[in-house]
Amino acid sequence: MIEVKELTKTYKVGSDIIKAVDHVNLEVKKGEFISILGHSGSGKTTLLSLIGGLTKPDSGTVRIDGTDIWSISDNDLSELRNRKINFIYQFASLIPTLNIIENVLVPTAFRPKDEPINYYEFAMELLDIVGIKDKARSYPAHLSGGQQRRAAIARAFINNPEIILADEPTGDLDEETEAEIMDLFKRMNKAKGITFIIVTHSSDLARQTEKRYRMANGILKEEA
Amino acid sequence: MLSVMVVAATLFSVTTVMDSVETSIEKGTARLGADIMVVPAEAEAQAKTALLAGEPSTFYMDRSIEDKVRKVKGVKAVASQVFLKTAQYKCCSVGNMLLIGFDPKHDFTIMPWLSKELTRPLGTDEIIMGRGLTAYNVGSKIKFYGKYFEVVGMLEETGMKFIDNSVFMPYAAMKKLAEESKHKKGVKAANLPIDKISTVLVQVEPEISPQRVAIFIEHDIPGVKAIVSEQVISSVRKQLFVLLRSILSISIILWIMALLLIGVVFSMIVNERQREIGLLRAMGAKKSNIFRLIMTEASILSIMGGIVGIVLGGAFLYAFKGFIRSSLNIPYLWPSAAEYAVLVAGCLLLSFLTGAVAALWPAIRSMRMEPYEAIRRGE
Ligand SMILES: Nc1ncnc2c1ncn2[C@@H]1O[C@H](COP(=O)(O)OP(=O)(O)OP(=O)(O)O)[C@@H](O)[C@H]1O
Ligand SMILES: [Mg+2]
Repeated sequence: MIEVKELTKTYKVGSDIIKAVDHVNLEVKKGEFISILGHSGSGKTTLLSLIGGLTKPDSGTVRIDGTDIWSISDNDLSELRNRKINFIYQFASLIPTLNIIENVLVPTAFRPKDEPINYYEFAMELLDIVGIKDKARSYPAHLSGGQQRRAAIARAFINNPEIILADEPTGDLDEETEAEIMDLFKRMNKAKGITFIIVTHSSDLARQTEKRYRMANGILKEEA
Repeated sequence: MLSVMVVAATLFSVTTVMDSVETSIEKGTARLGADIMVVPAEAEAQAKTALLAGEPSTFYMDRSIEDKVRKVKGVKAVASQVFLKTAQYKCCSVGNMLLIGFDPKHDFTIMPWLSKELTRPLGTDEIIMGRGLTAYNVGSKIKFYGKYFEVVGMLEETGMKFIDNSVFMPYAAMKKLAEESKHKKGVKAANLPIDKISTVLVQVEPEISPQRVAIFIEHDIPGVKAIVSEQVISSVRKQLFVLLRSILSISIILWIMALLLIGVVFSMIVNERQREIGLLRAMGAKKSNIFRLIMTEASILSIMGGIVGIVLGGAFLYAFKGFIRSSLNIPYLWPSAAEYAVLVAGCLLLSFLTGAVAALWPAIRSMRMEPYEAIRRGE
């Protein structure tokens, strides 16, 4: 379902060449739940962005359901992102001028207009699940970091994605909430068969996943 | 938005003034109905100021001139008028107004411009008033030289003070008024010379130019000056155009500066929003969605700026309309509602285009960026 081959991305900073992602190979089957563990600067975010089609690799391929995502048009790639993939970012990623419910609904704005789904109700349900239903009409600035993160998590599910790429999704949450969120991910993984790739530097969290990878200096290795 | 506002305001006020001057001059000429105004040679300057600035002034020439003018080649119709400046008397006689005695039989300059047609001839104590005398209305009574007159008609506004601020009565009524004033006790006698006229208004045959007819008149009749209304007006128009053109070129420079400024402002906004744009792209927004979003925002901002600018420009015009009127020293009419609508629409369109053009470059730039880059850079 996700097939990554010899994926490489380098950055030039001044005269230095940084190999952020270095000949990475990875295969993730539909419905798998994997984690990528690594130190800061090891290239985890870059790898997720390459898989999600947010940045173009220097070489190598990413195939999602057999489609080489870097060979299709930008419009098709946008549509693929919209239909199949959703991100949970490392940092606050809500749009400050929209309230929480509007933020959660953003991905649906780029769907065909004739979809018969009542996204509003679904969004409220998701907010309820992450425990901030009462904040639906608040603006991101009035929420704590953890609450914003939960809103971003709710948003990740709104378009019924097949793949969720989560970059330290529980970074600023307390242990209890972290456990709740992980529970939610596992439930979604089981119930809807959503594929999860979770980036973290917590080995505790990594231990909970079926498959673990470790990233160092742009090189990805599977953990035993 | 501020800069769009300023530009829209300037453009709007300038074009409005220009347009109103045009309309008022055109209407004024049409209203005057006369192609040529024959006056005593020595009164040329006086007559021109009377025509344009509406300074009440009187001058006289022999009545026989009317018939002489009628016989000149190229003349189609003539109508004579007699001017009489009213004298103030204590409380009750209104002074310093220009009474114009006209000849109802030949008149083609006054009666057609009554705002409501009058079907019967005017009586000797009835008058018609110019629209500029706003203190009066149909039915008002007004006293000249100790005699009451009733206003039975108002002219439409012409923008020519000479017409707008004058009072019209048939020549016979004026003669009677002057006669009676001599016998009234305590009333200053009206100083109306017998059998004189002030001006002969001429309509020329359509196939001949007023300029040529004016030359014929001056050639045939010694001691008169034939003022071609078109010429008086076009010389004013020329002066005005020089003035307005310089204002216009200043606004064009302003507009170009605004365009650059708005471009910078929008690219700043877009830079600030890079992260958001990246996020939207990551959530499946197409390049075209982003492009449209930015352009819509730019258009809304600049249209809003345009509206505020037009309101400001309008307020400015309104506040200074007296000043504009007097400093340009020309007849002045506000454009009609339809013309206003065109002006407003034009200014709005221009401010919309300004915003759109200015936002184009930042929009394209942000559209081209990789989502990951955009998200990172905004961090
Ligand atoms: N756009 C960029 N330009 C230059 N260097 C970059 C860019 N993006 C990433 N890098 C570099 O690539 C390396 C990997 O970065 P990346 O963000 O993928 O690390 P990470 O594993 O997500 O780190 P963290 O755990 O701190 O989030 C880093 O050395 C980083 O400085
Ligand atoms: Mg990272």
